[in-house]
Amino acid sequence: MEETQAARPQSAATFEDVERLRLRLAEYMSSASGGHVIVERLSKFPAGFSWITYGVKLSGFPAAREVILRIGPPYGLFAPYSALPEFESLSAIAGGAIPAPRVYFASDDPSFLGAPFFLCEKVEGDTPLPWGSQVQALGSARRESLAADFIDALAALHRFDWRSTPLAKWGAGVTVDNSASLQIDDWHKRFERWALRPHPMAHRTLSWLRAHAPMATRVSIVHGDYRLGNFLERDGRISAILDWELVHLGDPIEDLGWAFLPQYRGGTTMVCGLASEADFLARYEARSGLKVDPAALKFYLVFSLLKLAFTHMAAARCFEDGLFNDLRMPAMATQIAPVFRQIARILEREP
Amino acid sequence: MNNSLPRLIDGMVATLRADIIPHVEGDYARGQAYGVIYMLMSLKLRASWSNAFLIEQLRALEQASRELEALDLPGAPLPQARAPAQLPEAEDLMAMRDAGDERLSALIDWLSSRRKSLPADTSARALAIIDRYLNRQSKFELSTSAKPMFVEMSGGAANS
Repeated sequence: MEETQAARPQSAATFEDVERLRLRLAEYMSSASGGHVIVERLSKFPAGFSWITYGVKLSGFPAAREVILRIGPPYGLFAPYSALPEFESLSAIAGGAIPAPRVYFASDDPSFLGAPFFLCEKVEGDTPLPWGSQVQALGSARRESLAADFIDALAALHRFDWRSTPLAKWGAGVTVDNSASLQIDDWHKRFERWALRPHPMAHRTLSWLRAHAPMATRVSIVHGDYRLGNFLERDGRISAILDWELVHLGDPIEDLGWAFLPQYRGGTTMVCGLASEADFLARYEARSGLKVDPAALKFYLVFSLLKLAFTHMAAARCFEDGLFNDLRMPAMATQIAPVFRQIARILEREP
Repeated sequence: MNNSLPRLIDGMVATLRADIIPHVEGDYARGQAYGVIYMLMSLKLRASWSNAFLIEQLRALEQASRELEALDLPGAPLPQARAPAQLPEAEDLMAMRDAGDERLSALIDWLSSRRKSLPADTSARALAIIDRYLNRQSKFELSTSAKPMFVEMSGGAANS
């Protein structure tokens, strides 16, 4: 534990001191809700690499007895963070066809808790994970039900009329022509920030992506991390789509490319271990009203693999900089080469 | 060290698996212990005793050899050892590789920016050479990588 803290500032930020966090959160919520909120208990969820998650038991908050607090620490995998994209997107889609937690408050002001944060509903459910035998053990009825919810929620998200919500302000400069290249530019910058050494394969892939960038059929909300492991299941139904930290406006096929990654198939040949590619596409097209161009899907699959390789580089960077001692991070970094190999195999099949 | 590095790592891994992990409380802690095993297995395929350690031994041997050669010992089997003048450190080799990869990355970007002006055949041949290099590099890296242990590291239990 001492080693983990070594590279961080000497005095713990508010969010790292549970008692101080409890008091500051109660102050904030009392002020924001206009009542007298008492934070009875904070329970930290098992460590991830990005946002820190707490279950919060409350009294005096009219909306709920229990909420989820998410904090974006300055040393997280995708830092620096803003809580606003996740908060604003979840606010916009609330009450619609996309199962998602209701959000209460958010702030990027570090004077409250020491880092950006947001508070949302605690939705009941479990998270099926894409590794181990869990996915292979899903019965067919449960699998079909989850597949239907998973695809329908994605189609609903991509149909969502964001222009008639406050998200309209996100739309400045994003068009069907440039949505792919904007994302390439964004991830290229991340690559430059994260890479510990030169990676010609990343340049080769970026070059291919720039030469093959498709025109989007529409500009939609893109979840950015839509996959097995990022939803809650209850009684065979999806109760909430989670982890909206990479949400943005762009080409809806971007989410399909990510969901189609071999890494999230749970040891099966099915998309996210839930549906065959053909069944997935047929249902998605019927529900979204979009025709999925195979070339665009291939583009976004390659792009998703590259994003995955870059995320592994971010893990290597965090570990190298001494921000985490979690051995899962250097282990993730060992996957850069296999992911590059997967990209090379796809590009080798080019006519 | 008297044992070989691979054998030492095998021994550490076996001890972790058989004698330590079964007594560790908590999925996360056991997952991290599997992470230690995975990293050790990865090291086993890439690491060797350090050049600096070995060259120092060779330099000592060279000095002794030279001193022995200066003595009058007719017919004696003198070691006649000489340390190599230049033995690159791993850091030097890594810096050379990185410099080469940096230049190759710049070339890829250059080709990409001239996609429309360069003769297609020239571009294609250059990219084919680059792809062969990248494939050779990644295949070698994969062939010297340990079997991933993400299931164990995530769940804290042996993958049956």
